[in-house]
Amino acid sequence: MTRISSKVIREAYKVSKLLPPLLRATKNLDLAKCELQWIKRELPKNKWTEAVIRRSNYEPLQYVLGSQPFGSLDILCRRNVLIPRWETEEWVTRLSDMIRQHIKDTTQLKILDACTGTGCISLLLHQKLSEEAKYKTDILGFDVSYDAVTLANDNLNKNEPSWSLEKSSVTFRKSNIFHWSLNDTAESFDLIVSNPPYITREEYSSPVTLEGVARSVKLYEPSLALIGQYEFYEKLVDITVSTNAKAFIFELGSNDQATYVEKQINSLAAGWKTKMYSDTADKIRCVLGWKKDTVWDFLVKF
Amino acid sequence: MSRFLVNPRLCFGSLRSGRSLWNNLNIKTYIGRQVAVPKMVFSGRLFSSTIPKLDHIEDVPTLHPLLVKRAEALTKEFATLEKAVANGAFDQETSVKFSNLSVILENYHRYQEDMGNLASLIEIIETEEDEELINEAVSETNALISSLRKTTRSLEARLLPPIKHSGKPAILELRPGVGGSEAAIFTKDLMDMYINFANHMRWKHSVISQSFTGQGSINEAIISIDEPGSYDKLRHESGVHRVQRIPSTETKGRIHTSTSAVVVLPKMSEGNESSLRDDEKSFQPGEVRIDTMRAGGKGGQHVNTTDSAVRLTHIPTGIQVQQQDERSQPRNKAKAFSILRARLAALEREKEIAEQRKLRTDQVTTTDRSDKIRTYNYPQNRITDHRCAFSLHDVEGCMAGSRLAEIIEKVEEHEFEDRLEQLIASAAA
Ligand SMILES: C[S@@+](CC[C@H](N)C(=O)[O-])C[C@H]1O[C@@H](n2cnc3c(N)ncnc32)[C@H](O)[C@@H]1O
Repeated sequence: MTRISSKVIREAYKVSKLLPPLLRATKNLDLAKCELQWIKRELPKNKWTEAVIRRSNYEPLQYVLGSQPFGSLDILCRRNVLIPRWETEEWVTRLSDMIRQHIKDTTQLKILDACTGTGCISLLLHQKLSEEAKYKTDILGFDVSYDAVTLANDNLNKNEPSWSLEKSSVTFRKSNIFHWSLNDTAESFDLIVSNPPYITREEYSSPVTLEGVARSVKLYEPSLALIGQYEFYEKLVDITVSTNAKAFIFELGSNDQATYVEKQINSLAAGWKTKMYSDTADKIRCVLGWKKDTVWDFLVKF
Repeated sequence: MSRFLVNPRLCFGSLRSGRSLWNNLNIKTYIGRQVAVPKMVFSGRLFSSTIPKLDHIEDVPTLHPLLVKRAEALTKEFATLEKAVANGAFDQETSVKFSNLSVILENYHRYQEDMGNLASLIEIIETEEDEELINEAVSETNALISSLRKTTRSLEARLLPPIKHSGKPAILELRPGVGGSEAAIFTKDLMDMYINFANHMRWKHSVISQSFTGQGSINEAIISIDEPGSYDKLRHESGVHRVQRIPSTETKGRIHTSTSAVVVLPKMSEGNESSLRDDEKSFQPGEVRIDTMRAGGKGGQHVNTTDSAVRLTHIPTGIQVQQQDERSQPRNKAKAFSILRARLAALEREKEIAEQRKLRTDQVTTTDRSDKIRTYNYPQNRITDHRCAFSLHDVEGCMAGSRLAEIIEKVEEHEFEDRLEQLIASAAA
């Protein structure tokens, strides 16, 4: 962990008494200033001190403020449910922009969002495809966590008033991916998306400096949302094949996981292409796959 | 350096409107006002008490002789263009030019006609015996003058080379210069002044970003004034503003001098998520480097940073824009792109102006970016704009936004004269 010099702390104190505690969590004066500004902007004055104390104990600011921007949406955040990440926001935005650019048939798009958490992926896809671009979409998100499904529905209710939702639908339900049986799949989907838990047990228990998990994540975010290696991807590929999907995109944390998915899909089905995608921080972030000679061929440009 | 000492709108004299009578018009001051009267027929009836008053004869709007010259040059150009069009040359550019010129000349012909009529009317007032006829002529003259005012204004605007981006909204950037914390406090005062001014003008505005250094002081502020055309008014605010006062932090009662730098840019795009796509498309791939200030490590689920800062680097110019005010990274990116486009547009305009200046190296009137343009002297309750040597003795009124317009108007007048001079210089060259 980077240490903060006493000079920086004094400097912070001169600007505001509320800054040094924030500095403890952010380790960075500029960021601490930003966070203070956001606290002041979003919370009533009598909540400022409490907010700063919570934050100085490494509680994520998103839980303190109760939300996180995600694309043009504001997603409600609560403890027990993972906070949406900018990397996810980035690929979801990219994906919907590319669909809008390349898929001209707007009549039917069925999407499954496995391990939906706050529902952020489903909701942004609906916003960008259905509200902004008039695609008829049916999106189903599921999660094993009761808190996650409740929050996802709260997020849906929050956005619903400004949406038309006439022909399209967004639905959240509670299910366990490992109990997803083939009988369950009377339904078919065009596209499977997922950001499943992908931090290995080993990484989870190692120090931050050794590719571990940030203190604030470990202390406050649910391990149920974080820990996983190949098991989720194995199941996701199963679902892809059994629901007759034409394309998938899965977020991940390592090359190994990407290679695993590639091997898995090619062993279960024929005619699939795959691609790895790195985020703008140059970290491997997603694996994509699509059936050759379908409208999804454009994913090669992802 | 020579300047026109009279308001160019009041330059009577060598007008070539085709009427000999008009050539004899002259300015004479009677009973405290300037009156345009024919020199030779000088009966004094224009100010006789028995006839109704001529409302605005003292400021008959007339076109500066140089602009008349330019209009005549354009008439010739139009003739050539007309021939080209008749011979079948009708590409996009020619047709745009053709229609632009025809609008200008239409205005110019109306102006000439009005001027001719005005001369005749004045002659009637001067020489006619029938009182009823005189009354009629006077009321017609008054109507004519107000129509002339409109025609002249629009002609002036059209004849001077256009100011690029004058129809755009504006982005204002403010940063402290020399003077430490007092400079940062003054920067906040200036920011408030512009926000007050925008409120006073009923212009929509918003703070794009600001970074505080402490109570009531600012390190950098960027504000957006969303009124179309506000760029043309506010661009005169670009430059170094100087303050002379006893800072609130000063214990010995000494007057300090500090500065703050203001940059005014034409706003080229909204700076929101929907403008972002077009903004990005306006650059070549690889022209802009986008850095997000993400901490190292594995990213993704491993961290939950709030750091949403975005920094753009425009590779060809080296211009950098950083935005971190919003919790949303895409929103910061959209704002950064909008600011980058505005800075590039301003840069392009500066280049053009510099090139025009190069053509007349004898007449350098550069206002360097580092030149102070204005001083706010609190003890003397005075704000002086150094470009036009105008002083307003009401600091509070200016900072409250209600009297800034007066200063801007003086600077505009000064610029108008400057630009006329440039026109002379380039016409002479
Ligand atoms: C990394 S979070 C992703 C949440 C959300 N999609 C996002 O991108 O912010 C993974 C989610 O998977 C859920 N999850 C964990 N095990 C699961 C299981 N067996 N079946 C379904 N969902 C599960 C967790 O509750 C958590 O919400």
